[in-house]
Amino acid sequence: MKYFLYWGCSLEASGVNYLRSLKPVCEALGMEFEEIPDWNCCGASVSYAGANDLAIKVLNARNLALAEKKANYDIIAPCSSCYIQMIKVNHEIQENESLRERVNSILAEDGLAYNGSIRVRHIQDVLFNDIGTEQIKRHVTKPLNGLKVAGYVGCQSVRPYGEYDSVHNPVVQDKLLEALDAKPVPFPKKIQCCGSGIFLPEMDLCLGLVRDILDDAVSHGAEIISTVCPMCAMNLEMYQDRINEKYGTDFDIPIVYLTQLMAVAFGMDLKRDAALHHNVIPPENILKAAIGN
Amino acid sequence: METNTSYDPSFAREVFENVDSGEEIKMCMQCGMCAASCPLREHMDYPPRQIFSMIRAGKRDMVLNANSIMMCTSCYTCQVRCPRGIPVIDVMHGLAHYAISKGILTRKDTAVFGREFWQQIYKTGRIDEKDLSRRYFFADGIITGIKKSLQMARMGIIMLLHGRMKILPEKKIKGIKSLRSMLDKAMQTGKGGSEV
Repeated sequence: MKYFLYWGCSLEASGVNYLRSLKPVCEALGMEFEEIPDWNCCGASVSYAGANDLAIKVLNARNLALAEKKANYDIIAPCSSCYIQMIKVNHEIQENESLRERVNSILAEDGLAYNGSIRVRHIQDVLFNDIGTEQIKRHVTKPLNGLKVAGYVGCQSVRPYGEYDSVHNPVVQDKLLEALDAKPVPFPKKIQCCGSGIFLPEMDLCLGLVRDILDDAVSHGAEIISTVCPMCAMNLEMYQDRINEKYGTDFDIPIVYLTQLMAVAFGMDLKRDAALHHNVIPPENILKAAIGN
Repeated sequence: METNTSYDPSFAREVFENVDSGEEIKMCMQCGMCAASCPLREHMDYPPRQIFSMIRAGKRDMVLNANSIMMCTSCYTCQVRCPRGIPVIDVMHGLAHYAISKGILTRKDTAVFGREFWQQIYKTGRIDEKDLSRRYFFADGIITGIKKSLQMARMGIIMLLHGRMKILPEKKIKGIKSLRSMLDKAMQTGKGGSEV
């Protein structure tokens, strides 16, 4: 099945291990990707400081229009921020004709128009609903043998629309983890925000949020935390030292992308396909022990 | 605490007309679910519920100077729980944009970070994470910039060593000129936000 993959800015830099693992895993599952030609940034969650709402809508409508012009594939946005920005503007344009006309009158600057025919999907949605856990299980050659994983959902991968999972009690990531023979641990903070895009400027406040999430995961027995968002991954992984220093804690828990765990369970190369060498808190030993290497 | 608050509709009108999604607060019934749901509620001077009430009471300076309007992590917890379906996040972002455009920078770091973020999109069409951080650190001048950079230097080196930083600078997208004219038009024709 063919999709557009809108990987966005982070997956070329701090979230490179997400993109590197996502591609081989999805290809193994029979998915084919095309890039949206000449795509631009989605605006993420902090652009409102400089831009009004219409400008942010135009930013996303341009990507949707460029995709629609090329083909009628669904767009997969693995980054939660790209996903929420794009799906939000898509819904608004689809449901509001006067907004659509207004946005199109601006897109006309470059001869573009968006008619609202494209669907925007999160990678978890596609893996769970288009591929399915049965199909995923068939690709597992190195089961994770009950590895205790805290599946951290965060916020923007399911909220506010809840298109494929509950906004209050999401289960899709846990089901995908189970398909790899991992054991998802229940942990209530899995839907608490990590600080997202304002983590850097509001670090003093957000360190406490991440401490609570890590503490909840560890105290429920997690050996490793999985995520599906480059901001979650960054905020949970890169600041454990600072948190330990500030709160006298002792966190040293690897943070991996769900797709990295899938690559490992699919028996793929730990470096080339699972991209584990990009992780700052090394997950190799825990994962090798789990698969019995 | 004032006991005889009189309602002054002029600021509410200003918000409805000029602030993106500002008219959405008309639906608020003051239940406080948004305040209880916010991850950063402990740090806010006035949570969303109170901000909406203060808009109706005409407390212009208090609202536009509130730290909470620039403290939204955009997690959508308040929004999915709001019994009246108010897009609380859109309202908070709209208010933050309006305040920042009036030169009010109550959470200065966040306002500067967000503005740098937007300027980089305008410049190249995409975000270069390392360049964004550098611009953000040095937005307050070279001394503060060096201090902030040193504080984050260790993390930067670690990320570089793990291949999680783009070495080359981000190139402009091909359609940057037309993107800019689109964004200019949107900024001119939208309101402080835009009407929907």
